[in-house]
Amino acid sequence: MTLYEKIMALYPSLTNKDFMGINSTIELQNDSDGKGDYIAKWEHPTLARPTEEQLA
Amino acid sequence: MKSYPHTKRNWKHKGSNMPISTIGQNGLNAPLSLTSPALGTPSSLVLTNATGLPQAGLGTNVVGNGPAFSAYSNANQSITAATATKVSLQLEVFDTNSNFASSRFTPTVAGYYQVNAAIYFAGSTIQYGLARIYKNGSVYQSGQFFYVAAGTSDTMANVSSIVSLNGSTDYIELYGNQSGGTSTIMVAGSSQTYFNACLIRSA
Repeated sequence: MTLYEKIMALYPSLTNKDFMGINSTIELQNDSDGKGDYIAKWEHPTLARPTEEQLA
Repeated sequence: MKSYPHTKRNWKHKGSNMPISTIGQNGLNAPLSLTSPALGTPSSLVLTNATGLPQAGLGTNVVGNGPAFSAYSNANQSITAATATKVSLQLEVFDTNSNFASSRFTPTVAGYYQVNAAIYFAGSTIQYGLARIYKNGSVYQSGQFFYVAAGTSDTMANVSSIVSLNGSTDYIELYGNQSGGTSTIMVAGSSQTYFNACLIRSA
C-alpha cells in the first residue's frame, strides 16, 4: 500500500483537490533517491498529520 | 599621387576629431585585443580576455554563451497517485557548461533562465496530471492537463517559465504528479518526457 493509499484509508474524506489542487494543503513527495514517498507538507485545517504508527 | 580616402590610415586620421576614449585594465586580463570595424560599417570594439567577456559585461540585446542544457528520460518511471515525483532524466542532448547532473540543473552563471519541460503520462485511470518546475526543492510553477472523466488515452503535461537563478546554490528540477492512476508511468523518450533550459538574460 502506498503512502497515498494509507492516508486515504485513514481519512476517506480527502480528495485529490487536497493533494493536487492549486491551494492544496497536503503534499506527498518522492525525490527518486530511493528513500520512497514522504509527507512534504501537511497544512490541512481540520485533519491531523498522521503519525508514524498510523502509517506503519 | 592618387588619393585613397578610405584607407585605414585616412580613416584613423579622420577619427582624430572624435572624442578620445581611455581603456583601463580593470576587469581585463592580458592580452587585450582591439578589432577595427570594416570600412563603411558602424564602428565596433571587441574586448576579450583569457576567458572572454563575462555574461554581465555584454551589452543590451546581445546573445551570450551562457549555460544551456537539454535532457530526457530513457526509462519509463512509475508514479504513485497524488505524489509529486522527481523525474529521472538520464540522457543529455547537450549540457554546454556541465551544470546538469542527477536530474538537477545548477547553473554557475547568475541570470534569468528560460525553462521548458513536458511529461508524457500513460495510464487508463488518470484524470489529471501535473508537470512542475521545482526551484531549490519547492514548487515554482506548474502546468497541467485535465480530463473531465477518467482518461482513456495517454497525454502530456507541459510547463515553461522564466526562472531567476543565482549562479551558485540555486537549482531546478522537474517533478510530475497525477491523480488516481494506479499503474501510471511517465513515458521515456526525447519527445515525451524532457527538460531543458537556457540563459536568456544576465543577472
